[in-house]
Amino acid sequence: MKKPKSDLLQGTLDLLILKTLELESMHGWGISQRIQQISESVLQVNQGSLYPALHRLEEQGWITANWKASENNRQAKYYSLTKRGRSQLVEERQNWLRLSAAVGRIVGTA
Amino acid sequence: MGARLISIFRFLFRRRETEQALDAELRYHVDRQTELNRARGLGPEEARREAVLSVGGVEALKDDCREARTGRFLETLWQDVRYGMRVLLKNRAFSLAAILTLALGIGANTAIFSLVYGVLLRPLPYQDGSQLVVLHQLNTKAANANFPFSVKDLNDYGQQNHTLEGIVEHHTMVFLLSDSSTAERVQTAVVSGNFFDVLGVRPLLGRTFVDADDQMDAAPVIVLSYKFWQQHRNGDPAIVGKIFQMNSKPHTVIGVLPPIPQYPNESDLYMTSVQCPTRSSNGFKNNRRARMMIAFARIKPGLTVNQAQADLSVVATQIERANPDAYPKQGGYAMSAVPLRDDLTHTARTTFFILLGGAGFVLLIACANVANLMLARLLRLEREIAVRAALGASKARLLRQLLTESLLVSMTGGLLGLALAPLALSVLVKFAARYSTRATEVRMDAPVLLFTLLIAVGTGILFGLAPAFSSASRAAEALKQGSGRTTAGRGRQALRSGLVVAQVAVSFVLLMGAGLMLRSFIKLTEVNPGFRTDHLLSLRMTPNFAKYSKTSQIPTLMDSIMRHVTAIHGVESATLVSNVPLSPSGIASGPGNNDFLIYGRTPSPGELAPTVDITVADGNYFRTIGQAIVAGRDFTLHDDDKVPPVAVINQTMARHNWPSGDPVGQRMAFAFKPDAWITVVGVVADTREYGLAKPTKSEIYMPMAQNYPNSVTATVGGFTGNLIVRSSIDPLSMTPAIRVALNDVDPFMGLDQIGTLENFQYESVAAPRVTTTLLGIFAALALLISSSGIAAVMTLSVTQRTRELGIRMALGAERKAIVAMVVRQGLTLALIGVAVGICGAMALTRLLSTLLYSTSPTDVLTFLAVSLVFLTVGALACFVPARQVTTIDPLIALREE
Repeated sequence: MKKPKSDLLQGTLDLLILKTLELESMHGWGISQRIQQISESVLQVNQGSLYPALHRLEEQGWITANWKASENNRQAKYYSLTKRGRSQLVEERQNWLRLSAAVGRIVGTA
Repeated sequence: MGARLISIFRFLFRRRETEQALDAELRYHVDRQTELNRARGLGPEEARREAVLSVGGVEALKDDCREARTGRFLETLWQDVRYGMRVLLKNRAFSLAAILTLALGIGANTAIFSLVYGVLLRPLPYQDGSQLVVLHQLNTKAANANFPFSVKDLNDYGQQNHTLEGIVEHHTMVFLLSDSSTAERVQTAVVSGNFFDVLGVRPLLGRTFVDADDQMDAAPVIVLSYKFWQQHRNGDPAIVGKIFQMNSKPHTVIGVLPPIPQYPNESDLYMTSVQCPTRSSNGFKNNRRARMMIAFARIKPGLTVNQAQADLSVVATQIERANPDAYPKQGGYAMSAVPLRDDLTHTARTTFFILLGGAGFVLLIACANVANLMLARLLRLEREIAVRAALGASKARLLRQLLTESLLVSMTGGLLGLALAPLALSVLVKFAARYSTRATEVRMDAPVLLFTLLIAVGTGILFGLAPAFSSASRAAEALKQGSGRTTAGRGRQALRSGLVVAQVAVSFVLLMGAGLMLRSFIKLTEVNPGFRTDHLLSLRMTPNFAKYSKTSQIPTLMDSIMRHVTAIHGVESATLVSNVPLSPSGIASGPGNNDFLIYGRTPSPGELAPTVDITVADGNYFRTIGQAIVAGRDFTLHDDDKVPPVAVINQTMARHNWPSGDPVGQRMAFAFKPDAWITVVGVVADTREYGLAKPTKSEIYMPMAQNYPNSVTATVGGFTGNLIVRSSIDPLSMTPAIRVALNDVDPFMGLDQIGTLENFQYESVAAPRVTTTLLGIFAALALLISSSGIAAVMTLSVTQRTRELGIRMALGAERKAIVAMVVRQGLTLALIGVAVGICGAMALTRLLSTLLYSTSPTDVLTFLAVSLVFLTVGALACFVPARQVTTIDPLIALREE
């Protein structure tokens, strides 16, 4: 954890969670590990905001949860994308790409 | 939405499961993180601690997760409600006082609002009722002079307007309805063929009129009112098609109306205009000045009342220009269109809104009182609130908690009020019936319940907010004050005093209103009706008219009645008369307006003919009721149909028509019979024939014996149906003997409208009496609540200043001086309140002016009396805190620290 860390932009966490769940269903701890791994530990998800975010997304119907045995043979709460969650992911990803491209242009040319 | 519902459902029914799942989920995370930490080489304790820290505290995280769920607000609400209940149950006295005060306030408002809504606001039960208007012809140069329509007036307006779908006419007559076995008099509305279509009324049974029913040669048909069908025909389901005799013609029943309020008055049945003998005579139809009808119209869809009014004003000018002699001269003629609903309810409007205002004031005062009680209670809770604020309760959360509590109080009060309202409503509906036929529509339905809910919530927020705000902002400060008892901040004391001043001011306005109404009412009861009301009994007789079909049989019947009645022991004298002064039926119908001519005077063009109300009576009338003859003579037995007609007039008629000369010996004739000259033989004192508060109208009395053949009044076949008896004993006790006597005359004689004239007089002022009583009750409640407010605030202030007062005493202040100080402060509040109240009353009592009888809305005496009442009550209210002072022991007060 030597690399400089960035705080997550408001709303970005939702996108990260949805993206992480795109391939397979996962439990909360797994999601936080995955995000860190993929971002090569640049992004460290604050667990304090991960779980409320999961509950909020579930509330909105974008992800759904069920209990099943985890890799270490314990019952864990697995989240997976719903149909609405998938279309939400498409939308949020486009938003993000637009936003980051715009920010990139500004930062790049400044 | 579905997910949200599931979430709420989960909160409501599967809370435990949800909680356990959350627990397990987070435990799993912490365990995995611990394993990871251990793998990195931390000790077991340390690994776990790091793991817990990484989520920032398990409990806080749980709370954040719960917060993300919709059901969450329900949970905090539930917490707040439970907490609120506990608090309220702990402070029983406070809760009870607050809830009862509010229950009275909300109950009163609910009941009065039911009236206001049912009578004034509810849409008319006619189709598109908002497009219906009442038309009035006006003489704007004369005060309050709207006059009825003639056939020619109506035809012209019907043909020349561009904004109305249809104009319909209406007048009422009393006819005899008979079948083979019975005959009874019926109040008959005579209307146009399209009357029900224009009003948008569908029949309950059969059909209503069509235009063909209103053609000259149409077969006579009638439509019955629901009430008449129920009460006089027993709701006969086969009534349609039955045939009755009216005006010597067979009339077929074609339909029955639904139970809707009738306008302008309740009629037993309806007939078309061609069937009314007066209305269909050529002399009436061709005389533009023969005016008898009122008119309704339906405005074309999409047009407004203002557009119709503008159009009709143009037509009025055209008609007036074409017929200058038939309309008021000097350009005073105008035509007005008033929305039917306004016209139907205008007499009720002022009274009802004033009562609603009064009830609203009581509720406001109650709110102020509860707010004060809450403030006082919060003062003791201040440290608790401060502690909760310090432990992290947000300001919003504390506010919500306090508001939940006040809403609990107001909703409970509202529920109780809702239970109380129907008790008052039954009385109020009878009261409302004196103002409008729409009283039958009063009920507590959805709009009323919604109103109650709104005021319950509104009051809860109103009295909850002030204390809540002052509390949350002061929480921190309270904590700083350490272990010492909290003292009232200057701001809060000012808020409480302000509330008391407002209470006193509003109560003052209410008491002024009640005081003025009372003064006006007393004046009203002191009005001399113009005759002796004591020992008089009145009865309306309805013989089986079928037995007296020949007019010659009627005089015989009346003779027989008089002989039998005067023979009863205890009867001093008896008389037969067409209208009983101050009787409910007379007041309801009001005076008639019969145009008349004066012999030897030619009315100038455009001058409206003078009008007079007609009473037909026998020769015993003036003597029996005790009406003084001021000039000329009374009727005698010789004034019968063998001699030229004579009449007695009242002073008002004499003054208006013969201002400088003696009317006795002069002659006049009615416009409906212009060649029959009647000689005035006497003048009688004015009576308040149609209501104590109503200025006397011109009245002419005609001897019954000259009016058998061609009745000019609402009598049937010349039968003058009211019997008035003056007795030497209690008049009501005469009723059985009179019944027996009349039974001897005619076993089928119907008797109704039985009452003493004293009772008629009492009933005639029932509406102002109820208004006065209601305002009086409101004022008394207001006075009670606001005086308890003064007492409570002063007592609290003494309690809080116990230490200060103790020091003062220890330093030598006399107890008397301190009591005086407390009383002075209390009275100062009352005085300021009274001062504000006087200003408020000056501005508001004007609204009462139409309800007051010869009383000025700024009546000085009432203002003085009410001020005095308030200062006395204020002083009495200070008695409680003053007593409190006497119990202060300086030593204990000082040691309390």
